[in-house]
Amino acid sequence: MNLNLTKSDKIFLGVIFGGYVAVLIYMVVTGYRFQLEGVGQRWIYQLPFGEGPLSRVNPLTIIMTWVVMGLIIFMATRVKVFKIIPGKKQSLLESLLDYVYDLVKDSVSRKEYIRPIFDIAASLFLFVIVSNIIGSFPGINAFPAENGGVTFTILADTWYAPTSDLNMNLMLAFFVFVMSHVYAIRVKGLKNWGKSFFEPIWWMFPINIIGEIAKPISHALRLFGNIMGGAILALILGYLVKYFVLPAALWGIFGLFFGAIQALIFTILAIAYISSLIE
Amino acid sequence: MDIGEGLMMMGKFIGAGLAMGIGAIGPGIGEGRVGASAMEAMARQPEMIGTLTTRMILADAIAETTGIYSLVIAFMILLVV
Repeated sequence: MNLNLTKSDKIFLGVIFGGYVAVLIYMVVTGYRFQLEGVGQRWIYQLPFGEGPLSRVNPLTIIMTWVVMGLIIFMATRVKVFKIIPGKKQSLLESLLDYVYDLVKDSVSRKEYIRPIFDIAASLFLFVIVSNIIGSFPGINAFPAENGGVTFTILADTWYAPTSDLNMNLMLAFFVFVMSHVYAIRVKGLKNWGKSFFEPIWWMFPINIIGEIAKPISHALRLFGNIMGGAILALILGYLVKYFVLPAALWGIFGLFFGAIQALIFTILAIAYISSLIE
Repeated sequence: MDIGEGLMMMGKFIGAGLAMGIGAIGPGIGEGRVGASAMEAMARQPEMIGTLTTRMILADAIAETTGIYSLVIAFMILLVV
């Protein structure tokens, strides 16, 4: 592999690696005391009105979701003019989206549905991959404290990835589920769509229903388990070695490598679920 | 710590260990089969190594899903309840 790095590339990579080293030095010097108290718990805010599950929000998920959306919109505004000879940002975006377009083109048999399904898949892919990659950089995170307050950890943990909240993933998977059935109704018509639940024999109906409901749940839990499990694993293993070198490597592996793979798998499964219903 | 609390802790630790240990069997077998087949294909067609490695990693990531579920369950037993 032949890499031609310009000076600004080297500065950019240097800042990232220097950032990891600076965080390590900061932790060693300040003697950061790690507790296993708040691991796996979330900062939950009770709204002043109402009771029950719908009146509680997870503020960090909402904030980081808007941050991720802002990053994607910022990226999109930076490559406003698409040139014939692409620049660096444009070629990054084009190669990512080209890959997703090829995936959609290979699995969707009807020509007129390639473009709308590509729009859905590319939006999901960009959102999931940016929010997973955010979870690999040291930043600010929050845990509930003992006395009901909130403790913020600065640079001792990564940024909070919105995909490590199951609500977020279930919402994305439910969106894919609804869209796949909307497309199925549009392609087959209401009667044939209803009939597809009674195939091959009528008494298979409950099994078909369970099979459809299991799709979004396993779709959401796969992403949630990987991101959330990786974050907790990095915290606990970092605690074992008192934050010596290991956490940075773990954050890199779980955030960049597994994050990119899981984003790709989430997209491929979304395409497969939609395209399998419009055959 | 009274005896009830001690029994609860014992149950938690045994349960988490069993969840992770038994849950790792399936993904282990699955990923082993994926890797073996990929090696065979690579030996037969060395010019396809790049494509095969990408597909192998994707298949591995799907096969390890159930292992990841049991990891989450083990963490929930240990930390959340």
